[in-house]
Amino acid sequence: MRIAALLAALTLATRVAAQEPRLERLDSAARAPVAALLDSARIAGLPAEPLIQRALEGTTKGAPAERVVAAVRRLATDLGRARAALGLAADPLELEAGAAALRAGASPEVLAHLRRARHQPLMVPLAVLADLVASGVPVDSAAAAVLVLAGSARDADLVEFRRAVERDIALGASPAGAATGAAREAAGATDLNSTARTGSARPRRP
Amino acid sequence: MFDHEQDIVERVIDSLRRPVGIEPAFDARVMREIAALRAPRRRLVLFAGLAAVAAVLAVVVLARPRAPATRELQFVLVAPQAATVSLVGDFNDWDAVRTPMRPLRPDGPVWSAVVPLAPGRYHYAFLVNGSRWLADPAAPTASDDGFGTPSSVVTVSGRGRGRGT
Repeated sequence: MRIAALLAALTLATRVAAQEPRLERLDSAARAPVAALLDSARIAGLPAEPLIQRALEGTTKGAPAERVVAAVRRLATDLGRARAALGLAADPLELEAGAAALRAGASPEVLAHLRRARHQPLMVPLAVLADLVASGVPVDSAAAAVLVLAGSARDADLVEFRRAVERDIALGASPAGAATGAAREAAGATDLNSTARTGSARPRRP
Repeated sequence: MFDHEQDIVERVIDSLRRPVGIEPAFDARVMREIAALRAPRRRLVLFAGLAAVAAVLAVVVLARPRAPATRELQFVLVAPQAATVSLVGDFNDWDAVRTPMRPLRPDGPVWSAVVPLAPGRYHYAFLVNGSRWLADPAAPTASDDGFGTPSSVVTVSGRGRGRGT
């Protein structure tokens, strides 16, 4: 019985390695579980590449097999949650950024709200949200700021907003205060940008 | 009919019966004129054909899935004591040897590597002297995956030029 199970595991691992040669770099204990997670992700229509990269990261960094498998499983779960929140039309880049935002602590409702508020790809706003939280901004403040900007700000505006928050934090501002202040500034700048684009004659700020 | 009318008729008949002298190049000249008259139409047909071929090619090219445009990003690390530094991340399958960084100046402390990246969000880290992992101090930190060493994250947007976020 034990030999049969061993043979089955060996067969599965061999089949998986043939399908995705990069998995050969994984510890033998991680290979089959990670391959099974990849298969499940593909069947569910989720992107497999981020999962492969997490497994390779853990392996290259010398993490134990169980941690590698746990990290891949957690990411697969987050990708599934991101798709549930963002909708079936979400592309792989949005799903990956959405998974990062969820992992940072954003709620699925925030992701769904972003989808409704912004009629452009969501990768950058979701990435900015995750990055702000990583910078120390409380998740509620980060989500509120990104939601305020998402309706009209361009990707470049959002990137500049994130840089401004990081700059202010580095200069000593509280993360929440930096996010709020920078969002207010960015919202004004976005307003002016859209004014310039539409050619309106509204007065500019001094 | 009068005699002199009869005379005229006979002279006309004689003239008509006489063989007409046609210069040898006449045929060639006539055919040249005809060809010149047909040329614009032929050119039009040729132009329409080329336009149709171009339209078909355009449809084929535009309908083909295109590789996303990549942007070149420069990664920099100040590591005065380092003998080797590698850039390792999602963009090179976490292969520690694929993207070695080089000092900007010989024996200088600033190490650099330029990598073309398609739009996306990438985890990465620096590997110093083959054993020490460092996150990028100039980039957001990636979420902790329990691997025990830090990583950074860079987001490359699909539009515009310049650095990633």
